[in-house]
Amino acid sequence: MKVEGRIASKAEFERLQKDLGKKADTAAKVVRVCIGTGCAAKGSRRLYELFCEAAKKSGTGVTVEAKPVGCHGFCERGPIVVVQPGNIIYQGVEEPDVGEIFRETVVGGRVVERLLYEDPESGKKAETEDEIPFYNAQKRIVLAENGRIDPTSISDYIAAGGYSALAKVLSGMSPEEVIEEVEISGLRGRGGGGFPTARKWRSCREAEGPERYVICNGDEGDPGAFMDRSIMEGNPHSVLEGMIIGAYAIGASKGYIYVRNEYPLAVEHLKNAIVQAREAGFLGEEILGTSFCFDIRINRGGGAFVCGESTALIASLEGRAGEPRAKYVHTVERGLNDMPTNLNNVETWANVPAIINRGGKWFSSIGTEGSKGTKVFSLVGKVVNTGLVEVPMGMTLRQIVEKIGGGVKDGKKFKAVQTGGPSGGCIPSDQLDARVDFDELTKLGSMMGSGGMIVMDEDTCMVNVAHYFLNFLKEESCGKCTPCREGIAQMLAILDRISKGEGKEGDIEMLESLAHLLSETALCALGKTAANPVLSTIRYFKDEYEAHISEHRCPAKVCRDLFIYEIDPEVCTGCGICKKNCPEEAITGERREPHVIDQNKCTKCGTCFDKCPFTAIMKV
Amino acid sequence: MPTVTIDGIAVTVEKEQTILYAAKKAGIWIPTLCYNPSVTALAECRLCMVELDRGKYTQLVTACNYPVRRDLTVSVSSERAVRARRGVMELLLARAPESLELKVLAARMGVFGTPYPTVTESQRNCILCGLCVSVCDEVMGCSAIGFAGRGTDRAVATPFRMASDGCIACGACAVVCPVGTIQIRIHEEEGEVEISPFKSRAKLLVCEECGKKMVTEPVAKQMMDRVNINWDEFRERARLCPECRRKKTAEAAGLIASKIGAE
Repeated sequence: MKVEGRIASKAEFERLQKDLGKKADTAAKVVRVCIGTGCAAKGSRRLYELFCEAAKKSGTGVTVEAKPVGCHGFCERGPIVVVQPGNIIYQGVEEPDVGEIFRETVVGGRVVERLLYEDPESGKKAETEDEIPFYNAQKRIVLAENGRIDPTSISDYIAAGGYSALAKVLSGMSPEEVIEEVEISGLRGRGGGGFPTARKWRSCREAEGPERYVICNGDEGDPGAFMDRSIMEGNPHSVLEGMIIGAYAIGASKGYIYVRNEYPLAVEHLKNAIVQAREAGFLGEEILGTSFCFDIRINRGGGAFVCGESTALIASLEGRAGEPRAKYVHTVERGLNDMPTNLNNVETWANVPAIINRGGKWFSSIGTEGSKGTKVFSLVGKVVNTGLVEVPMGMTLRQIVEKIGGGVKDGKKFKAVQTGGPSGGCIPSDQLDARVDFDELTKLGSMMGSGGMIVMDEDTCMVNVAHYFLNFLKEESCGKCTPCREGIAQMLAILDRISKGEGKEGDIEMLESLAHLLSETALCALGKTAANPVLSTIRYFKDEYEAHISEHRCPAKVCRDLFIYEIDPEVCTGCGICKKNCPEEAITGERREPHVIDQNKCTKCGTCFDKCPFTAIMKV
Repeated sequence: MPTVTIDGIAVTVEKEQTILYAAKKAGIWIPTLCYNPSVTALAECRLCMVELDRGKYTQLVTACNYPVRRDLTVSVSSERAVRARRGVMELLLARAPESLELKVLAARMGVFGTPYPTVTESQRNCILCGLCVSVCDEVMGCSAIGFAGRGTDRAVATPFRMASDGCIACGACAVVCPVGTIQIRIHEEEGEVEISPFKSRAKLLVCEECGKKMVTEPVAKQMMDRVNINWDEFRERARLCPECRRKKTAEAAGLIASKIGAE
């Protein structure tokens, strides 16, 4: 059953939804293959094709459907395949496994043990998501349908309850009632700033202008972050539905999705979703038979980090260079084409349908005093389970890192977790019981940001981390205002010096004063927060800075100029592996005799350190 | 009209005027670099920071483009505002160490040096305030120069950094440049004007009477194209230097006078 033609009324929509729901129940056997970017990179598209072929050939008398689905979040263990009935989750599936899964599980109803998730501690195998700690500590609202529905099918979305929020809004709620519902929910912007969404909507609604716009900010640019990408790829209709409801509440007639061109799958799925929504009558003229008209178009961004800043994004949309402007006059008053414009992030929009369907009260029952609902994080770095996680606000960082993330990789010691992207900060182990909350993270010198979360272990040098992020921001600064352009470069020069062991007394103070200047005087939020990585590492890891400066020592042995590689003659067996692998021929030694590194030739590439099977190579 | 109280002095200004305008009215000096009343204020240099009282908290804002929409209380001399302006000036001094204009402005602010090392030579001395770009676009309508590159690579340049036909060598950019980086060079022998550092050159118009060099040819042409006047002699006189033009005017007047006398 398909959605055919425009749906002209709420009654018609409800009939269709019922029919689609029934159909979904009857398709007894479904193989869901994740085609999110993470799994696709590991060849899941081919798996999907193979399952399709198998489904076609199967003469079992039962209909088997292979379904491409969005990101499950557990990218570490991809490609992921889920078989219904039973919702058996298989991880790390490869092409040769397809036949076995089909024969055993789909047809035979037996579980393929070797492809199940195995708990690293207890060794217990998990058959469904609910048995895996990575999933069962999460609470999924935005990602609820990710991994279940086919992102290219509007029927799937409707069958799962999609567009019923829109139908509800258009058939009986006034714009003000919609805004009130969002206000009750306590939803705050998920893009980083955490501004109350309802207040923004209301300001835009009340601003004067012949036309109003809504914009979806899909210009996710933080290193290691892929929350918005997965939502756009895995459930594009939820973003559209949120935007249509928002446009109705605000009184906007046009919407734009600004998505970076590096997200081809997101662009493709969004485009497809817009076409489908238009055909079904959720976009365009007289939506669902009402007088409300609204349409959305996609604008692809060129990949500049600064274009995630609202005014720079708007400049880019207008065809000008993506540079921010002063926000003394807010974009809700004068934004795109000088018209009242409401800009929200992908995740914010995607939360809206759930709030309308289940009520603002329900949403506000989740989370903390000041931060309601859930937040999606991309948990990456030195953690056992990397991937996409959605947790209720108020969960502690410790729960996320240890329970969901499974703790630090390779039994190393936890050092810090970086939240909030390049403009965020590093939170040390003694603050790990801090709760995920807009205001609490800011108090710790970091921020919620859009949801990047990078776990660092004991082998991480915090000076190096600050250097990395600052260098990223130097590359991404648009250069428009003096403090950001000049200040970041000056700070980077100091950090360069420190990591080379050439730091001077007073360097830390100078970094602090420059950081302060940046936060006080920079034009946009990118510049104002650019110094956060430096400030938070100085705040929590000052001793590391001091070791670099006064002792010319890098405690984590990361800064290349501050340590050397040496071979422990007691441990070295003279196997010659290091010698064979050294690209500089810096290692000499007879067979079965301890080898020696020529420090003049050594470039500290670390190859010998990684290759030595006896851990005889030391950083000293 | 809203009242702006700056360092205790209250002035009323029209709605949507800026804090900088109010400060001028109150007789209080706020240092500026990228501000020029003839173009849109973009607040790129960040030198005009002042502290705005928001009731529960205070906030630093740029005076040149902060719109006055209700009564405001502003501090120019607060420690926080002074420290911010000093900090910005120190960064600018590291960027344009050779500019006399900048040194003088810094001294007036009480800043007599910078703790930061000077930036690399290729970027030196232009503070990227953007006044030249704005004046070329908004006032002259030429858009011969613009910003190229991003971040620390940002620079004011002609397209592809080559001599540009779009430049009429009017010199407006040099006139508004607050640090004296853009210069007008006269090449006597070739009878040309060069706008440095943009490499753009234009021939100088020579007075048809005495041969004295005047404005550049494209400037004169642009003027001719714009002036819509039904008076043939306008074009002739536009090709004369001011002195020869006055002579010509006097002659014409004398001719008329003598004609009147003869009758």
